[in-house]
Amino acid sequence: MLRTIAPHLQQIGLVVILVAMAGIVAVVGGDVTVQHAVDGGFKHYRVNALLNADQLLNLATSTSFIAIMAVGATMVIASGGIDLSVGSVFALAASSGALVLRGLGPTGADASPALAVAAGVATCLAVGVACGALNGALVVALRVHPFIITLGTMAIFRGIAFLLTEGQAITGFPPALQAIVKWDLGGGLYPVPLLVMVAVAIVAMLYLRHAVSGLHVFAIGGNETAARYSGLPIGAVKIRVYTLAGAAAGLAGALSLGYYGSASSGTGFGYELHVIAAAVIGGASLAGGRGGAIGALFGALLIRLIDTSITILEIDQNYSQVILGAVIIIAVLLDQAVGALARRLQTPPAANGG
Amino acid sequence: MIRFDGVTKHFGGVRALSDVSFTIARGSTHALVGENGAGKSTLGNLLAGVHRPTAGRIEIDGAPVAFAAPRDALARGIAIVHQELLFCPNLTVADNLCLGDVPHRRGWVDRAAMRTRARERLQAIGVTLDVDRPIGELGTGHRQLVQIAHAVGSGARVIVFDEPTSALSQGECDRLFEHVARLQREGLTLVWVSHRLDEIARLCDTVTVLRDGRHVETGPIAAFPDDRIVELMAGRAVDLDVDVTDDAPSAHDTAARLAVDGLGRDGSFADVTFSIGAGEVVGFAGLVGSGRSEVARVLFGLDRATCGTIRVDGEAVVIRSPRDAMRCGLALLPEDRKHEGLVLEQSVARNTALASLERLARWRVVSLAAERRLAHEMVDALAIRTASVDAPVATLSGGNQQKVALAKWLARDASILVLDEPTRGVDVAAKAEIHRLIARLAAAGKAVLLISSELTEVVASSHRVVVMRDGRIAGTVTRQGPSDRAATQQRVLRLMTGVTTG
Repeated sequence: MLRTIAPHLQQIGLVVILVAMAGIVAVVGGDVTVQHAVDGGFKHYRVNALLNADQLLNLATSTSFIAIMAVGATMVIASGGIDLSVGSVFALAASSGALVLRGLGPTGADASPALAVAAGVATCLAVGVACGALNGALVVALRVHPFIITLGTMAIFRGIAFLLTEGQAITGFPPALQAIVKWDLGGGLYPVPLLVMVAVAIVAMLYLRHAVSGLHVFAIGGNETAARYSGLPIGAVKIRVYTLAGAAAGLAGALSLGYYGSASSGTGFGYELHVIAAAVIGGASLAGGRGGAIGALFGALLIRLIDTSITILEIDQNYSQVILGAVIIIAVLLDQAVGALARRLQTPPAANGG
Repeated sequence: MIRFDGVTKHFGGVRALSDVSFTIARGSTHALVGENGAGKSTLGNLLAGVHRPTAGRIEIDGAPVAFAAPRDALARGIAIVHQELLFCPNLTVADNLCLGDVPHRRGWVDRAAMRTRARERLQAIGVTLDVDRPIGELGTGHRQLVQIAHAVGSGARVIVFDEPTSALSQGECDRLFEHVARLQREGLTLVWVSHRLDEIARLCDTVTVLRDGRHVETGPIAAFPDDRIVELMAGRAVDLDVDVTDDAPSAHDTAARLAVDGLGRDGSFADVTFSIGAGEVVGFAGLVGSGRSEVARVLFGLDRATCGTIRVDGEAVVIRSPRDAMRCGLALLPEDRKHEGLVLEQSVARNTALASLERLARWRVVSLAAERRLAHEMVDALAIRTASVDAPVATLSGGNQQKVALAKWLARDASILVLDEPTRGVDVAAKAEIHRLIARLAAAGKAVLLISSELTEVVASSHRVVVMRDGRIAGTVTRQGPSDRAATQQRVLRLMTGVTTG
């Protein structure tokens, strides 16, 4: 029985930690009063501080931006690389999309809603893809460690965003994009970012687990020389994973643009740490060759849950960075311990090892 | 028929091969021998498309071939079983066996087809393995078999084995040789790159000797007895027969310098009791995994013992760290010298001084002059061949690197030397030199614990051989003079494998 669940022990461990943490915060956080507009008046409810629709939706939405990027980062990390520029790509994509949309006018009078949405999303995605492809191309062509390349492009991309926006927050676009991203199920339930996140994670999981080129990603991350000797297209695979990571950042940028209705060059500052931490907590190995899309999603959820918990438990916000950093290290240590345990359970006794 | 015609290979400014010409017959098992740096591995790599010749050409059945990559060579039926075992350790056996050509439906991996193909390939060479296990979890021997399965399954008719037994235990070697015999029966051409003369005599029918990147001689193995091959490799006569002097003290008439009593560590070994007198070499034999290196690690404080006592010069000592061990006069020459014994990028002088920095320092600042003086002494004493004491250790040959690793401890005047596989990856002449050095150190009063997988080495160089099996001492064999060598070897082997009859 243990042998059969052993390969999934890490994911199971992560889910257990998530549930345990949510449980503790739900109990310790107690109840709060919320108000909802009903029939022109306000109605007050007593609800659990964590387990209420508004709070959970907030959590899910903020998770979705990080999670989508973490799925992209997982592919890069599994291939043995690293992408520090995600936060900057996110900002540049969202800013570019915002500028294009603002060009269409605040009411969208000059363009159909469909065109406005398409232009906004396409711009964000295109910028993301271009940035990612550039990262990949530089890594492959210059043969410099991706840490250095993306450290450089992290500054460059955010710098370009700053130049384009002239340091201003860009607002005032046609309402169509916001209408889609903030599509309301009723009572302020916006499921779109959540659904996009789940869709991205599932598609990426299928790609990594079952596509031939997904296998190539793990092969290159596991042993690049062996992969080269097997005739795998190393350069193409690397450019592809960075491009996909860029596309993920672009998509997250489009969602945030629609959700918040504005963008600036400062958007997503420091996200690379959250994104990489989410991927690693989700099981990606910085040595390459290991990682999972669903794990990355749970990793992002854990990181956002920590942030939310700090608010709910009324811990001084000034401590949030310290706590987050500590939790990331603890989570990775736990993950390693569970991983070691899983390997021990999986390794058959020497007697039938032949 | 494979023909090398004036093959030359440069790496940057270094000439690895120059103007090598000879022929390998179809269906033969052809040994490529030479000292480290003679170019034998380079030649194998050229044939398998890993590198490309700078000049000259390789012909197969009369037609010249040019391989841009190992895949091109494989397409022509030439595969390599590599020294460094090129696999993706995180992927399964099935993944690795199919990596270059993954069975798929519209870009999606067809797992069932992949498993079937992998099992077929393994069965073709008579191996059964769980194809869903990550390859990193398999032992070296099994990984090598997977490589052979990959080569044969890809249609290879020529397989280059690059130092295949350098990391295998005796049992794994025997299993490999069975598979090799099978390949020979099926008429494959095998190119065997090695410097182990016993296995060459056993497996190969033809031998080519290389020296300093040049072809020396090719001929049937029967015409080349061991000492002749060694002479050709070294370019001079080498005395292989290093034996410890027989007038060395036995453990009974000298006080034990190191005495270990009931030493154990949960999960690796138990109840290890032995002693080494000053001037004595005690060999530690046993299969890989029998606990030999684990005992060494505990003695040097890298792991903690869970029971037992260690005495140095009669006094009980507690060793919790390498620093403790060094204070007791212990030194460890680790098995993996490149990672654990040396700082490869740093100079000979710095490596020699590494364990003696306190002694060389004044006011905690290391005197570079003292460091170099020490290095010069050691280079002279051990006959280390290096361009200068300032040359990075990485530029030295394997044997000379090992001498530097040893010099580090001699500079401290360590009295108990634990040598773990001191001649692994070292060429024949350097090996003999290290054996002589061990005898010399013992004669100078050091207590030496010699761990080795090579039976001949451990028997020839030790006064007594302690044999370990399954984490316990299976027995101790004392040699009765030089004439007793073969018989001693037999007794050790029986203890190692647990075979009691015959």
